[in-house]
Amino acid sequence: MTEQKHVPVKELEDVVIRFAGDSGDGMQLTGSQFTNTAAIVGNDISTFPDYPAEIRAPAGTLGGVSGFQVHLAEHDIWTPGDSPHVLVAMNPAALKVSLPDLEPGAIIIVNTDAFTPGNLKKAGYESNPLEDGSLNQFQVIPVPITTLNRNAVQDVEGLDKKSIDRSKNFFALGLIYWMFDRPLEPSIEWVKKKFGKRAPAVAEANIKALQAGYFYGETAEIFQTRFRIKPAKLPPGTYRKISGSEAAAIGLVTAARKANKPLFYGAYPITPASDILHNLAPLRNFDVITFQAEDEIAAMGATVGAAFAGAMAVTGTSGPGIALKSEAMNLAVMLELPLVVIDVQRGGPSTGLPTKVEQSDLLQIMFGRNGESPMPVLAASSPADCFDTVIEAYRLAVRAMAPVAVMMDGYLANSSEPWRIPDPDTIEPIVIEHPTEPNGPDGKFLPYKRDPVTLGRPWAIPGTPGLEHRVGGLEKSPEYGNVSYAPEHHQRMVNERAAKVARLADIIPEQEVFGPEEAELLVVGWGGTYGAIHAAVSQAQAKGQSVAQVHIRYLNPFPRNLGFILQNYDKILVPELNMGQLAMLLRDRYLVDVISLNKVQGRPFKVSEISAKIDELLAGE
Amino acid sequence: MATEIKLTRKDFMSDQTVRWCPGCGDYAILATVQKTLPRLGIPKEKFVFVSGIGCSSRFPYYMDTYGIHSIHGRAPTLATGIKLSNPDLSVWVITGDGDALSIGGNHILHAGRRNVDLNILLFNNRIYGLTKGQLSPTSPVGTKTKSSPYGSIERPLYPVEVALASGATFVARTIDVLQKEMGEIMYQAALHKGLAFIEIMQNCVIFNNGAWFDYSDRKKRADNDLFLEAGKPMVFGKNRDKGLVLDEEQGGFKVVEIGEEYSIEDITIHDPTSLENAFLLSQLDYPMPLGIIYQVTKPTYCEGMWGQIQQVKAQKGEGDLHDLYFNADTWEVTAEEEEIKAEVRGQVDASLDEAYIDELLGVEAPEADLAEQLASMTLHDLKPKAPITIRPDALMDHALHLMREHGIGALLVVSPDRHLMGIITEADILDRVAGKDIDLHQVTVQEFMTTEPVALPLYASVLEAVHFMTQRRFRHLPVVDENLHPVGVISSRDLAEFLIKHL
Repeated sequence: MTEQKHVPVKELEDVVIRFAGDSGDGMQLTGSQFTNTAAIVGNDISTFPDYPAEIRAPAGTLGGVSGFQVHLAEHDIWTPGDSPHVLVAMNPAALKVSLPDLEPGAIIIVNTDAFTPGNLKKAGYESNPLEDGSLNQFQVIPVPITTLNRNAVQDVEGLDKKSIDRSKNFFALGLIYWMFDRPLEPSIEWVKKKFGKRAPAVAEANIKALQAGYFYGETAEIFQTRFRIKPAKLPPGTYRKISGSEAAAIGLVTAARKANKPLFYGAYPITPASDILHNLAPLRNFDVITFQAEDEIAAMGATVGAAFAGAMAVTGTSGPGIALKSEAMNLAVMLELPLVVIDVQRGGPSTGLPTKVEQSDLLQIMFGRNGESPMPVLAASSPADCFDTVIEAYRLAVRAMAPVAVMMDGYLANSSEPWRIPDPDTIEPIVIEHPTEPNGPDGKFLPYKRDPVTLGRPWAIPGTPGLEHRVGGLEKSPEYGNVSYAPEHHQRMVNERAAKVARLADIIPEQEVFGPEEAELLVVGWGGTYGAIHAAVSQAQAKGQSVAQVHIRYLNPFPRNLGFILQNYDKILVPELNMGQLAMLLRDRYLVDVISLNKVQGRPFKVSEISAKIDELLAGE
Repeated sequence: MATEIKLTRKDFMSDQTVRWCPGCGDYAILATVQKTLPRLGIPKEKFVFVSGIGCSSRFPYYMDTYGIHSIHGRAPTLATGIKLSNPDLSVWVITGDGDALSIGGNHILHAGRRNVDLNILLFNNRIYGLTKGQLSPTSPVGTKTKSSPYGSIERPLYPVEVALASGATFVARTIDVLQKEMGEIMYQAALHKGLAFIEIMQNCVIFNNGAWFDYSDRKKRADNDLFLEAGKPMVFGKNRDKGLVLDEEQGGFKVVEIGEEYSIEDITIHDPTSLENAFLLSQLDYPMPLGIIYQVTKPTYCEGMWGQIQQVKAQKGEGDLHDLYFNADTWEVTAEEEEIKAEVRGQVDASLDEAYIDELLGVEAPEADLAEQLASMTLHDLKPKAPITIRPDALMDHALHLMREHGIGALLVVSPDRHLMGIITEADILDRVAGKDIDLHQVTVQEFMTTEPVALPLYASVLEAVHFMTQRRFRHLPVVDENLHPVGVISSRDLAEFLIKHL
């Protein structure tokens, strides 16, 4: 007996795999199954689902291509990876869309059955790329996936041809499991749980397809190499996979518990923010009220009302929604009520690129309201970081009695990474004291009498006897809050609303620097670009380049030491997925010259793009 | 209520000077509200008044209750947020014709549809007053204003009709000059569970004086106003000699004289639970129906929301953060060996419930259970035997000797730096040596071993080992540490013994 087939197993530090096919081919499902299994085996993971804007563009067309990219590594990873090492292309369109991202030598597994003249035409190929030599620089592995899958699944009773073909993504998944030496069991278990009871034939077909793909890899001698990624060395703890939307939802529920309040989440469906609503809606037993409003304005209005009534009030949306909410956000600024506004950014302007990533709402959030209307702004830097960021946002909101914005983006919302699960008991409570006694002369309640330290006003909630008061969008007198257009009143109230936001800098942590405190170059970023920037800076440091990184979570107010940090570097590079919005704020605030690296292509930064810019700036010395 | 609450109109008057134009209808409405609230027996601190923008929207400033003067058209949204967050509050929306039906039209529709337990008072003066006289969505065709100098060419909305269409469960109309009737309607609205909508015909003395003159003037109103009473015939007129009769042919109400042709018995009885009749009444301007036009009881939005909260708590128990965090596949990273093991806890989806139900019903899923158990144990638990290793350049003779000496079926081949290079097994020898004329003193292990064998790390699950042994027919599996140094060997016999012992 020979125990081993002579297919060498190659140890890799990391690998990037992309599954691409029609949006109906189940590529998202395939990708997430692979990710789950990788996580269970213990790899660090990072994913990037890239689905088309049109839910179902015609099958086989470039617009209908749906992709899911997974980056697995034995070490900490920060991005879904630049360039796939392995591409699974279920049809010519998927191949065509992905080819520009591949580097020479990459492995391409193609479903040859889908390379029909019709599909080639739909993808805009004049000749078959599998035959015309245009793929010579890659390792192409042709597999007739549809046919092989039909053969494997044909015995399953009660399935028509269409349903049989629908399981071909599991054949591809099985093949990849073999190639990357992954166990099949987690996916088999998943299929059983998902379909076992409701549709046993579907379950059987998917399991057979999965196994057939695996055994095909084992028996067909077309693979020269197998890969194994060793488990990542993560800090000790219990981990789970988490997306930004999940992390934000769980973080909000946590903050509500820590503040001892019901959570009110008012939202109108909008891509890519809706998943937060979806994740919160089932959690009624946590006293979660999800209000799907009639429009963005109503979502914001109801959120302001909920805050007035004493709930932990939150809304979430994307850029176009922020535009509609602006007036009611401004009302919250004026009423001085604590709430959180989450902006899951997407490509703009207008409807823009709903499913694609961009960071171009920063100036909108900072300044997109009439009048002098400062709002604290925080940005999450990774999917798991959304958990901490929303909790921190609510802490600041109740301290300053102000609406606080949390910036996420479509990439953070949809990407996944391992999350070290914290002990909920160790998370600090959010202490809120609602007044019960009048605070003014003659037993009067003064709704705008500020705390001398925080400048926040008292949060008296309806139902408290003796503290009845009115608030409104009109300018008001200090302390008493009665309508007043007096010149000195307006000036003072504008000053105080600005000062209480600025004073948050007293309690937010000082900005940390990754790398040397003085160097030739500092790379400054914010939000979801953390991973790419961190990887690029780490690589540069490993090469001996004089470079450090600052990633800003607190965009308003900035950390109190930020200006000082910026002075210690010869050059400052600000990579952003916009045309230079943080750069504008930094120049204005600190009078420093910053060099922008801008990208608005609906895709995250590649590490190599940032590395190239670092090299260019340091070569100039 | 345990203690009787004694409040008076004065308790609801704030210290702010009321600043509507002298003679404005709003004064009468404010006074009526302030007189009505004390009758309700609700503590003062539980009232919240929310308004939008417009003359009427100054209203909350004059009430000594909790209140918000919000933004144009959006008062129903704030009120919905308030009521949902604290259903114990009595929430009132003060709005105007422009605020409610123009800029805020959408919110009125949805507040009605959801049957939010709010009281909406719409002050309808058929004009934009605060912005100094433009036409409003309730201005009749032909209305001449600064913005419609040649007369309005837009057909007006009828607030009562809009409220009925939206699904409001209490719809009434009143007029500013009739404080007693207005107070009674407000009282009934406050008692009503669900969305209560009151159109108040209100006079703007400056920009639209006399818009409702036909219905408010002392001399005319007796002939033109119809005071609705549930269960009573719809009779009106100074001498109560006119009435409404349903005209089947025309599909509406017609006005008839009570006398020779029609008797009082012929007059249609007002049935506020009839949506059809309510719609027909909403079309009339002669006579003008006043009073409660429509009232039914339906579940309110807050009952639904908080009912779900209670229901889900009863099903799933009070939410627990720890459970929420762990409601996914999890894995452990431990400090000592940085060993990682899989712990399958199930999926965050509906299938969890199904599995739970199966468990309750005693449905067996033995494969899943076994697989799960095996997945949760690592090779570490299996305590693999220390490996017997050999160098690749050793002679085959020596390999056989080692196997015999230790009574084992496989040797691991390691490089000088202890890297696993291959495996040599009884099977290899049988396959490749037996029956051939080979001198075992002349050949090295290297020539016969299987190179780059599948090896598992210590933290791999037992399930993975079972997989390789059964599916791939391996009899021996090397176990390696993170540097690929062999730390053990598992044979199929070891595995069998382990399974018998543990399962």
